[in-house]
Amino acid sequence: MKTKIMLTGNKAAAWGARMAGVEYVPAFPITPQTEIIETLAKWFADGTLQGKFTNMDSEHSMFMAAGSAGATGVRVFTASSSQGILHGMESLYTISGWRTPMVIVNVSRALATPITLEPDHNDVMSTRDCGLIQLHAETCQEVFDFILMGYRIAEDPEVCLPVLVNMDGFYLSFTREPVLIPDEEAVRNFLPLYTVTQPVFQASRPMARASAVFGGATYTSFKLQQELASRSAEKCFNQTAQEFEKYFGRLYEPVEAFHLDDAEYVFVMSNSFATKGKSAVMKLRRQGIKAGLLKLRLFRPFPSEAIASALGGHAKVAVIDQNLAPGMGGITYPEIVTSLYDREDRPEKILSVIGGLGGKDIEDQDFMAIIEHLDKPDMQTPLYLYDEGDASGFSRLQQIAKLKEALS
Amino acid sequence: MWRIRIHGRGGQGIKTASQILGSAGFYSGFQAQDFPLYGAERRGAPVIAFTRVSEDPILERGPISSPDIILIGDETLLNDPQSAPLCGAEPSTVVFVNSAQVPEVLSQKFSVTTTNLTDLCFQYLNHRTVYSSALSAVGARLLGNIELECLLRAVEDELIQQGISSQLLQGNLDLAREIFEMIQPVAVSQREEKGLTAKPLVFPSQLPVVDGAPIILDPGNMALRKTGNWRVERPEIDYEKCNNCLICYARCPDGVIGVAPDGRPEIDYDHCKGCLICALECPGHFIHTVKETGTFP
Repeated sequence: MKTKIMLTGNKAAAWGARMAGVEYVPAFPITPQTEIIETLAKWFADGTLQGKFTNMDSEHSMFMAAGSAGATGVRVFTASSSQGILHGMESLYTISGWRTPMVIVNVSRALATPITLEPDHNDVMSTRDCGLIQLHAETCQEVFDFILMGYRIAEDPEVCLPVLVNMDGFYLSFTREPVLIPDEEAVRNFLPLYTVTQPVFQASRPMARASAVFGGATYTSFKLQQELASRSAEKCFNQTAQEFEKYFGRLYEPVEAFHLDDAEYVFVMSNSFATKGKSAVMKLRRQGIKAGLLKLRLFRPFPSEAIASALGGHAKVAVIDQNLAPGMGGITYPEIVTSLYDREDRPEKILSVIGGLGGKDIEDQDFMAIIEHLDKPDMQTPLYLYDEGDASGFSRLQQIAKLKEALS
Repeated sequence: MWRIRIHGRGGQGIKTASQILGSAGFYSGFQAQDFPLYGAERRGAPVIAFTRVSEDPILERGPISSPDIILIGDETLLNDPQSAPLCGAEPSTVVFVNSAQVPEVLSQKFSVTTTNLTDLCFQYLNHRTVYSSALSAVGARLLGNIELECLLRAVEDELIQQGISSQLLQGNLDLAREIFEMIQPVAVSQREEKGLTAKPLVFPSQLPVVDGAPIILDPGNMALRKTGNWRVERPEIDYEKCNNCLICYARCPDGVIGVAPDGRPEIDYDHCKGCLICALECPGHFIHTVKETGTFP
């Protein structure tokens, strides 16, 4: 029987894994992700879930265990965050090259130094090029739904890649909101138990899965296969989304258009802060400003065509990156600009905005500041969402941290 | 939408209160959202939690800067700059303080309700410092649109998840019911939306590395942070009976018990967090615990 219950993003992720019938979970704790594996550990211990839950010695081992288990043909789930997923990054490249399906949840948390617990997207952006399929969630419901969809995509014979579902720490991971949990029969119809469609490790049949290659051409061939598999995942995402809608009534496009039709100003956002962007759009519209929002859901493969079609014809676009590549700026900005380069109807202005770093809020007044900046004839890019109060607070802390005699 | 902000300390059930209130709103047919805010886990340190209840989809996330209702579980936080329980309050904001009387500073500015939850919690739960059910009952009643049965269902659901005994659960249900029936609903007016103005942004200037990198040249500045205001209960040494054995001095995990020139142990109340390990360890039970009242200087 389907139920609607109040769940945190973390609990919604655990429920997603549970309803997917995961058989193996290698785990390592890290704030703000730990609630996911705590919940799963409990369910494995009390028999709610059948299979194996293993605490590993690090995220590096955890992802290797996940990839290896995936290569034996079981349904695998794991989760990480921030410093953890970076520690496991070598393994991420390795297991995506193995072409073994699984779903990984990353709970975004900003990276050291300085260290913090609060979210931004530099962690997940760092895994951008690892060969994972990436789905970014705005709500706890999306977290749950994307995990179910994620297994369909990861296990599709034309894809066979790990899928990463991303959510923001705190703003989603610890935030409870109503989540619809469908009944098990409906989930099984949409996502049957895992049937492998590729050779897997078996005691009776030795095989290798990670050959060394030299000379470049063989390496290139395998890498291009990975590229084609990843690109084919966009079609797979769309087919999966249509199937998902058939069973559960919610349709997920690779991007979500919010009041976009007549919008003169468009904010491009992803993850949980898109909710704040939507609220600002509604307020701006009540003030007579035609604003709209484009939310990125499928981030790898990058749905360039869908993004270009959505943004084409709109005058002014602001790409809000909650991440920072020092020396370059926002990480998604150049990807979006590239998608629009060939189009005659590309926006006259595309502004890069850097905000929400380390969990810093993006407020209604920030969106208004972006609008005003877009209207300047000599608009500078990027725009940093940083104000007088931030600067004076920073210098107050410096007063405490610096003994002035030590400086002389 | 109704925005409720709850202030208290780690260990007082503040996060749970926001969840009970969220579930009670959800069971009453509203959209609901709840969210806690705290740093690395610290018993006694200021904790804030938020609940949003709405007839329409909730397009907000994170902290509530301008609440309709503020529930203050611990009156010692009233002047605490980190907790800042009145921050963002407007004249229309309804303020509740767990206190025997309305603090004078508040009565002139806000519509304030008080009840001594501490005594009620002791009566029903045999505990003076856990306010989850009590505060959520206050919030539900002040909102005025939440049914008692939805509140009680939420208390039960949230506390069972935390694995409490059936006896203690019954105490919590009775407590919630008593408070719900005792408090008078206050008409919480829906605030008018303000026009959006642009935040004046600044372009950061580049600083020398000594300021631009997180370098601390003045070590030991933790003493500036007076963690004494995390204390919910205060250890007091009975010097009439203390025999200067100094076990409290040895056991204090924060090193805030010193030795006076005459050999007596001395508690540094600016930094004592009130863990009360000293009171447990004192062989003669000469350290008493007293609940903190009033605000921290």
